[in-house]
Amino acid sequence: MMTFFQSLQDFLHYDFLLYALLGTLFLSITCGLISPLLIARKNAFMGSAISHSTLLGLAIALSLFTADSSLSIFATTLGITILCTLFLAFSTYRQKLPTDSLIGIFYTSTMALGIIIHSLFAKNKTDLLSFLFGNILLLTKEDLILSVALLTLTAPLIIIPYKKWLFLTYDEEGAITSGIKAKVYHYLFFILLALLIVTSIKLAGTILIETLLLVPGFFGLKFSSNVRQSFILSVLFSTTFALLGIVIANSFGLPSGATLAVVLFMALVLSLFLKKIYNLIRK
Amino acid sequence: MTNPILKAEKICYSYNGESPVLKDISFSLDIGESLGVLGPNGGGKSTLMKIIAGLLTADSGELFFDGKNIKEYKTYPYEIFSYVPQNSELNSILPVKVHEYMEFSKALNKNVSSKDLDELLDLVGILHKRDSLISKLSGGERQRVLIARALINKPRLLLLDEPTKGLDSSGQDQLLSLIDKIKSRDKTAVMIVDHNINQIIRNCHKILCLNRSYHWHDHRDLLTKNILEDVYHCEFEHLLIHENDLQQDSNHPSHDHLFCDHDHKNLKDPHSLMRGKK
Repeated sequence: MMTFFQSLQDFLHYDFLLYALLGTLFLSITCGLISPLLIARKNAFMGSAISHSTLLGLAIALSLFTADSSLSIFATTLGITILCTLFLAFSTYRQKLPTDSLIGIFYTSTMALGIIIHSLFAKNKTDLLSFLFGNILLLTKEDLILSVALLTLTAPLIIIPYKKWLFLTYDEEGAITSGIKAKVYHYLFFILLALLIVTSIKLAGTILIETLLLVPGFFGLKFSSNVRQSFILSVLFSTTFALLGIVIANSFGLPSGATLAVVLFMALVLSLFLKKIYNLIRK
Repeated sequence: MTNPILKAEKICYSYNGESPVLKDISFSLDIGESLGVLGPNGGGKSTLMKIIAGLLTADSGELFFDGKNIKEYKTYPYEIFSYVPQNSELNSILPVKVHEYMEFSKALNKNVSSKDLDELLDLVGILHKRDSLISKLSGGERQRVLIARALINKPRLLLLDEPTKGLDSSGQDQLLSLIDKIKSRDKTAVMIVDHNINQIIRNCHKILCLNRSYHWHDHRDLLTKNILEDVYHCEFEHLLIHENDLQQDSNHPSHDHLFCDHDHKNLKDPHSLMRGKK
């Protein structure tokens, strides 16, 4: 227990830990906002595909720059991931045929290509593991600024046309024939998702970011009685347990991405269990 | 003389270059009129509806809204019509309440007040359910909500894709009376795709019969038993027996009428249906 409280104090004493804490806060708010939409739009697999395809961008970036060139790595990874995302968005817009096989082929191929490029050309071959599973020690002041910028960009784009997002998600054909430009929103959603994933790589890693993208929304949709509530619950759940996860990771020297994933999952399981008990008692 | 609110000329459509679902479809619909679209599953009814709603683009042919070719409009004329998709196409994951769904559409129509929304819910007889989750409503109630939402922008043309799908016969009657009420209240033209042959013939001014290789369009009084037999590829007596199957199983291939073993002896004169028209 002492270790845990000492660890809390560390967040105030060390700049990099404070950046990690604040970065986690901003990224988890953004994830909490996007998560219910990602699930309701049935794009969970797309999220997974985008996060895995970042590996290609990362491998190219790590072949061109050293690990301490934070912004250059971010810009290169983002550029390549957005290209991959646009291809996926183009291939999946209002398709009647199931697109999951195409997404599956795409993301395993880009990941495989990324690993080959990394093993052939990377300047430091040990870096990749941190990006795969997250490492808060890698978070810098620039990363914090990026996470704030991302939230500043994403929040208005989700909140202001909130009803349009919901209309499109709930009744796509009704929304399109009411004049909402579905294609614009389709591409916008995936570009925001790519931005969020690339910004969160150091925090959660390309493989484990999916937990931050899915668990809060799942919780929000499961426990809410209306749409607005599902978004509020999702953001609250995301921020509370992501912050708890980052504190636990630091306290026990655990990898941040894996700890976040486990804490969020445990919180979800516990909530579902408590809900079940509550329902049994009410009966 | 006023222009028809909707006119189609030689519309053709095929999915991915396969054999055409729609071939040279032409019809027109005047203000305040109703057009019923009949035909077997896969005959192209919903495809035609989606082309008119701008969700699909015809391979060839012309569409006119209010006498103006759609090519002359800068953007698709969504303000003229409202489209009500089949209620099975609503996303079941989001916990959307009736008033929230109405608010989605209100956000696109700034001059509509919350009071207007309640009036519309009242018109369709669902005001008492305004705070209910749409997923918890019955099929008929859900369809009423969809119609109320479609009326928010005061459309001059209402496009309804199988609104009675999944409803029992009394639910179907109630819903079709509601559509009739809206039609006469607002002089709204209505185009309706439905499997309820009896109701369509009774309630619509014009009928469009569609199957992949054949289409017929004219005033309902000119619709004969032979035309319906041509459209459905089966005898009219079979058609009446299977009307209910068509409604309930519209997602599945229709029953093979050549091999059915229904007892036709007790069937009353099928022609009474045609004579029973208004």
